[in-house]
Amino acid sequence: MAMNEHNTVEKDELTGDKLLSGHEYDNIRELDNNLPKWWVWLFIITIVWSVVYIFVFDVIKVAPYQQEEWKNEMAAAGVVGPGQSAPIVTANLVALTDKPSLDAGREIWVKQCKICHLEGGQGLVGPNLTDNFSIHGCTYGDVVNIIVVGAPEKGMISWKAQLSEDQIKKVASFVMTLKGTTPPNPKPPQGEPCK
Amino acid sequence: MENQTFYYDNKIVKNFAYATLFWGVIGMVVGLLLALQFIWPALTFGIPYTTFGRIRPIHTNAVIFAFVGNGMFTGIYYSLQRLCKARMFNDLLSKINFWGWQLIIVFAALSFAGGMTTGKEYAELEWPIDLLVAVIWLVFGANMIGTIIKRRTQHIYVAIWFYIATFVTITVLHVVNSLAIPVNLFKSYPIYAGVQDALVQWWYGHNAVAFFLTTPFLGLMYYYLPKAANRPIYSYRLSIVHFWALIFLYIWAGPHHLLYSALPGWAQSLGVVFSVMLIAPSWGGMVNGLLTLRGAWDRVREDPVLKFMVVAVTAYGMSTFEGPMMSTKTVNAISHFTDWTVGHAHIGALGWNGFLTFAVLYYLIPRMFQTQLYSRKIANLHFWIGTLGIIFYAVPLYWGAITQASMWKEFTADGFLKYPNFLETVTQLKPMYAARAIGGGLYIVGIVLGIYNLILTIRAGKFVPEEAASAPALVRAEGKRGSGEGMHRWLERRPVQFMLVALVAILIGGLIEIVPLYLVKTNIPTIASVKPYTPLELQGRDIYVREGCYTCHSQQVRPFRSETERYGEYAKAGEYVYDHPFQWGSKRNGPDLSREGVVSGRQYKPNSWHYNHMLNPQRLNEQSIMPVYKWLITDDLDISTTAKKIRVMQFLGVPYPQGYDKIANDDLMIQARGIADDLKSQGIQVEPTKEIIAMIAYLQRLGKDVHAAGMPTAAVTTK
Repeated sequence: MAMNEHNTVEKDELTGDKLLSGHEYDNIRELDNNLPKWWVWLFIITIVWSVVYIFVFDVIKVAPYQQEEWKNEMAAAGVVGPGQSAPIVTANLVALTDKPSLDAGREIWVKQCKICHLEGGQGLVGPNLTDNFSIHGCTYGDVVNIIVVGAPEKGMISWKAQLSEDQIKKVASFVMTLKGTTPPNPKPPQGEPCK
Repeated sequence: MENQTFYYDNKIVKNFAYATLFWGVIGMVVGLLLALQFIWPALTFGIPYTTFGRIRPIHTNAVIFAFVGNGMFTGIYYSLQRLCKARMFNDLLSKINFWGWQLIIVFAALSFAGGMTTGKEYAELEWPIDLLVAVIWLVFGANMIGTIIKRRTQHIYVAIWFYIATFVTITVLHVVNSLAIPVNLFKSYPIYAGVQDALVQWWYGHNAVAFFLTTPFLGLMYYYLPKAANRPIYSYRLSIVHFWALIFLYIWAGPHHLLYSALPGWAQSLGVVFSVMLIAPSWGGMVNGLLTLRGAWDRVREDPVLKFMVVAVTAYGMSTFEGPMMSTKTVNAISHFTDWTVGHAHIGALGWNGFLTFAVLYYLIPRMFQTQLYSRKIANLHFWIGTLGIIFYAVPLYWGAITQASMWKEFTADGFLKYPNFLETVTQLKPMYAARAIGGGLYIVGIVLGIYNLILTIRAGKFVPEEAASAPALVRAEGKRGSGEGMHRWLERRPVQFMLVALVAILIGGLIEIVPLYLVKTNIPTIASVKPYTPLELQGRDIYVREGCYTCHSQQVRPFRSETERYGEYAKAGEYVYDHPFQWGSKRNGPDLSREGVVSGRQYKPNSWHYNHMLNPQRLNEQSIMPVYKWLITDDLDISTTAKKIRVMQFLGVPYPQGYDKIANDDLMIQARGIADDLKSQGIQVEPTKEIIAMIAYLQRLGKDVHAAGMPTAAVTTK
């Protein structure tokens, strides 16, 4: 710290900025610099932005609150409430047997179904799908139907809000291929024997 | 005026410094274990005490209150004495502060591992420990104020302003947020419920960040940075403006943790704008710090202390810009419930708090031991490994957060969720979680090097427990403002008035936000079908709280198509009125659970699924990172507490019928037998008296009442 020769104002040697007299704390000095201009502007801009924000959202209320936003989003997606598959006519449906469909079905199975029926279909929470018994019917149409309508009181939810018709048919076709396989630790038979 | 000779108490500083290092390692190693549990869930070891939900609070509390807390005390006890030219007010208070704080930390760790928790983030301590925290904190405050009052300097320096603001605000936050009615020594219910509890909690949570992790460390920066650089503070005026703006504005910003929640829209708006207005006041601290280094940048390259400080202050600037951005609804819709928040928090904790703490330790330990730092090379190595650790920690999490948020929101052309199974969006992140664990590991390696370096420094030096100093006694200026004396300059020599003004500044925002939630009924519209929990569900809920389920599962469906499609009806304020405490959560490592019990919903699972899932989640899906909860199946539910719990709930306004406490356990057993019978029909033999039964009862209740209100999302016509 050097005294300026021409007046008594103390200046910082390295920057030439004015030091505040009497501001010394355990040898820490303070400079008499102004607030940086860009900083002041930044502060002002955020304050103005905030006033406008509150005015728009909460005073004149022309910007939507979240409930409106949700309605707008649903409308934009062209949906009324949650998405749903169209009803599937199950009479005389024939299971798909081509490999791409069965592979796609298997992929859905792994993601959605195995957490209750286990990977090989041996059953744990849900019934064993490999044996020759069934609670909700044995045909391909029956399997499609139970996936669509579910049996929530037994724990099987309806999947029509989460799977498309195409996906339901593919995963049901995959389920048909499980029958007769012998995964480990099968769950004891439930329901009626299939004819 | 003749000089008085006195002695700085270095011993208390040394104790706090050692505690900082000790708890720092423990807190971070627990963090690393948590990080590894994302990759190998078996690392929860299948026992309660090491399960994610219980040790996550140990990690957060240890890092915040044990590592940063002791670091803060270290820095304050050293600098306050020197800035006041006085020894600490009372040695006994110093010792009580030190040993009391360490005792709290030990109690905290044991109680969290034991499942004693309030279920409120960063305020998980149960009421007896909360009381102890309050007492010890007041001891610290008394000791600090006493020291300031017997100071030998006319004015109090800006660092002390920040220390004062820290003390008054943390006192207010801790007391208000911890108000609870005890059930017994180990369990209490907060007096607030649902939306109100959420607002009070995040008013606290956000300002714990502000006034425990920010203001004291700005104070430390204002002392140690100019000392280490031997440069004057860039602008006194800036320090005044940014100090008052910061403490006044910060307190309002809590609701930004609750955007798109059931919190009323006006309160969310306040959370947004006050967060955005915080950018400049926060950056004021960074600017004043960095510009103080003008003319000394050549030394930054050589001096590890300055290096750590520069990165700390830069990290502070980064996270105080990122924070306000995350508080805008646009960004929050993506970042909330993801690892973005976790990455953001760690830029602050590892960068700002961690690096500044080490800068302070590297500064004061050689001085107290009258020696030089043992090795500059090792300190530099620590610096680079630590910096690399922060980058490796944060970048993968940001990447993962955006990946996961996109997956949550993606629809197929048919209008179905592309990834309806939540687990897919978690499995996708495993490589990022691995990288994060490596980042955290590197940071710990850095700390170990730092400790090694400090130990060798300590060995080479000779400790000065009582450091002699001298200064003239203070001739107090007149109480009244002198001619030409600025208003603020006057306040700087009136610490008690200063404290009162600061108190008023921090009370305004909280009062304006919290009080209307009690007085204005339209803020929380009633839903007639929402009824109190049955005794079994209440007990189950308390197990949910005990196990810290909220650390991974939210109970707050946001009004986005992607969430109402995945979970069901979006959250309503009225559905949480009996939730003491609220359990909305802040991070989804697993799916939201608030619609779990809606039988016709997408999330519904039968009792037997929950049983099997708690017993062995990986059997149902080997990718699952859910911990095993098999003790719920073997442990008996403690129903001796039911009557007392019902009475406390009644006291808090939950409308159980008069005298219900006496028959509550009868109802409990009837409901429990029903669930046990259902499980039996599925081939599962379990006594109705086990904890799992209560847990299942609670999970199956979630969302039922809202659904019964006949306001399912599907009923809202949009065209």
